[in-house]
Amino acid sequence: MKRSPLALVVVAFVVALMLYVGYHRARRSGPAFAPRLTQSTIAPDFSLESLDGKTMRLSDLRGKAVLLNFWATWCGPCKIEMPWFVELQNQYASQGLQIVGVAMDDASKEDISKFAKDMNVNYPILIGKEAVGDQYGGVPALPESFLIGRDGKIVDKIIGLRGKAEIEDSIKKALDTKAVTSQAGLPETHTVSR
Amino acid sequence: MKMNQATLVKSNYSSSGEVHKLLFLLLVGVAGCAWAQSPPKAPTVSMAAVPLTTAQRAQATMVNLNFRVPPGYHINSNNPKSEFLIPTALKMDLPTDIILGKIEYPPGEETSFPFSPDEKLNVYNGDFTIAVAVHPLHSVVPGKYQMHGVLRYQACDNAACYPPKTLPVSFEVKVVKEPPAHHANPAQSPHIHN
Repeated sequence: MKRSPLALVVVAFVVALMLYVGYHRARRSGPAFAPRLTQSTIAPDFSLESLDGKTMRLSDLRGKAVLLNFWATWCGPCKIEMPWFVELQNQYASQGLQIVGVAMDDASKEDISKFAKDMNVNYPILIGKEAVGDQYGGVPALPESFLIGRDGKIVDKIIGLRGKAEIEDSIKKALDTKAVTSQAGLPETHTVSR
Repeated sequence: MKMNQATLVKSNYSSSGEVHKLLFLLLVGVAGCAWAQSPPKAPTVSMAAVPLTTAQRAQATMVNLNFRVPPGYHINSNNPKSEFLIPTALKMDLPTDIILGKIEYPPGEETSFPFSPDEKLNVYNGDFTIAVAVHPLHSVVPGKYQMHGVLRYQACDNAACYPPKTLPVSFEVKVVKEPPAHHANPAQSPHIHN
């Protein structure tokens, strides 16, 4: 059999490239086992405490379209999005939208409550935990939002501040999904509880 | 039985079609790795090396610490003018009998960003200098001393913010004795009295 020398060179180059990329990924800071969340992945389930002291579980929202927004009080761009979320929650609630904020903050619960009150937030704010952030890829920058369909699958991901129209388009995509009537078809989800 | 690598390659990839298949799979793998690289990376503020500073005992000596924010990012100044923003702050832990004097922060730059065009934030961009006063007491034995501390900052770009980080800060100070006290000679009469 005759082996093409060019093919061998290309294989060597690709292997070297993979080693380089792998090395830099390993050096990168962040969660050691950050999951690769892509479209159609079931959104990792979690259970977190809300500002009013109740515990909310993401999987309890199955059947609704969910905008899961990771934010912090020290994040300027997050503050810009919040009034949009208030409007969008009002506008699309009747169609089944539920916006959920997760505060990835070192600030006290009281400070987060004050901030949310100042911003007239009309959707639940949960006190975030690093473990939940890690489930969603480490959330290296804020704001970061995941649009989750009625079937619990991730429809879209938005990192950083984008326009309200772009967020609204993603919400419509999530609302267009169909709820899964039977739990039998859903893969097992992992839960992080408090 | 011994089999060298060339034999192994030869037996495994007996046709050019298989080599092409392998190449395709490798390229798909590389593309996957490159996609996974996409999350934004938190910027890191750096500090220039500080030349050895000579500090006299029993007096304050200013030491300039030069920092650099990477292009495209900003950090809050020491006085960001919002209770929720995290100010840049230097915290020093000095050796015994070397007192930390005033820390002089530069004024920030009043800047508005696309995410908040109506609001001006007070930030540091590019290079900035923080001056620290070190005051060795009279009891300090002359010699070289290492000063340690941390700079806490929180960075953003035009669309996203990154969690607060700390940068280790260290510099060396050479403590020297204070000059001998200068005593004025008592007034003497120019005339010799016998």
